[in-house]
Amino acid sequence: MAYPGAPGGYPGGQGGGYPGQQPGGYPGGAGGYPGAAPGGYPGGHPGSAPPGGHPGGYAGGHPGSAPPGGHPGGYAGGHPGAAPPGGHPGGYPGGYPGVSPEIQGWFQAVDSDRSGKISAMELQAALVNGQGRTFSDTACALMIGMFDRDRSGTIDMMEFQQLFGYINQWLSAFKGFDRDNSGFIDESELTQAFMQMGYRFSPDFVKFLVAKSDPATKNKVSVDQFIVICVQIQRFTEAFKTRDTEMRGVINIGYEDFMTIALSASV
Amino acid sequence: MAMPSREFLWDIFRRFDRDGSGTITANELQQALSNGSWTPFNPETVRVMIGMFDRNNCGAINFNDFGSLWKYVVDWQNCFRSFDRDNSGNIDKDELKQALITFGYRLSDNLVSLLVRKFDRNGQGTIYFDDFIQCCVVLSTLTNSFRTYDTDMDGVIQIHYEQFLTMVFSARV
Repeated sequence: MAYPGAPGGYPGGQGGGYPGQQPGGYPGGAGGYPGAAPGGYPGGHPGSAPPGGHPGGYAGGHPGSAPPGGHPGGYAGGHPGAAPPGGHPGGYPGGYPGVSPEIQGWFQAVDSDRSGKISAMELQAALVNGQGRTFSDTACALMIGMFDRDRSGTIDMMEFQQLFGYINQWLSAFKGFDRDNSGFIDESELTQAFMQMGYRFSPDFVKFLVAKSDPATKNKVSVDQFIVICVQIQRFTEAFKTRDTEMRGVINIGYEDFMTIALSASV
Repeated sequence: MAMPSREFLWDIFRRFDRDGSGTITANELQQALSNGSWTPFNPETVRVMIGMFDRNNCGAINFNDFGSLWKYVVDWQNCFRSFDRDNSGNIDKDELKQALITFGYRLSDNLVSLLVRKFDRNGQGTIYFDDFIQCCVVLSTLTNSFRTYDTDMDGVIQIHYEQFLTMVFSARV
């Protein structure tokens, strides 16, 4: 026995009440839902391709092909730093060919200590969610971790360019889901969002996620929390699917394997 | 540890409660606690602690709740010190492994290494006091949820997709 303690009177058994139409309810059956390709979820290969598992398929076209609608921090009125994006004459020595002046401007605005690198803390200071609050520690650490390929804890200009595009895709997706433009998505909007991403979750599970994200009032999810939820669901779903070889929506899993997934895919 | 006297606790409480509001907020608690390095105390751990002892669900700790919180911190501190054999102020992978064995876990080296990587916020391959608490709390939450399904106690569970997601999401206490 790998873990401590003796069996008590555990409730155990099945939770029941699962939507049974699709095995397990996760996307990736025959249907071509956006991002069904293995490895295409964000975090798999940041940057090598547009984030595949991200909700690109919502009505309104493909975010990212269009000029970024909401710049980071721009959702509901935040501006990273005071500097306007774009026009930063005499930026970094040598400049960055291939990186648009707009993004270089943002980079300099976010890089508050002028180190040429952006840390999770600098990113956090620059990103404001719809509540006027900065993005959570978790969200910033998650995003830096995804694009920080040399594991330095910071991202450089090239990595930032990818992160910038990535955040914008999430912001515009979020705006699409936030039908009433409240700056948050509520339970029904989140349910809709998951459906469009191809997930079939029970109302209880969606409720559970909302309550996790918003312990105080349990009724709304901000954009940074939304990103964290979606990225984690994608990672956990991938991990589940690799073990669910028969696509039954049920797996047998050992303690160590379970712990490893839970610890390595969570943030 | 036995509960310290009310006077003793009141003295500490007042020092924690910087703005004299009569309650200790997450910010105040974070500032008052030290992890043995000069970095801020793990905010997640602070959140967990407030959540555990805040009986009124107001997001802060009043004096009535404070005794239990204080005892909790001191117990963890003693526990941590007993595993920090070289008194370095942090515990390395071997010390962590020893601690977890003492708690009753039998984890592979790979999993212990993963824990160190995951909870080492300073990037030094060691774990400070606050991160040690965090590590143990997460480990125990995940293990408990696994055990709930492992009714025959063979270390393997059969689980549905959504149950699985719920379990792994619960780890973020």
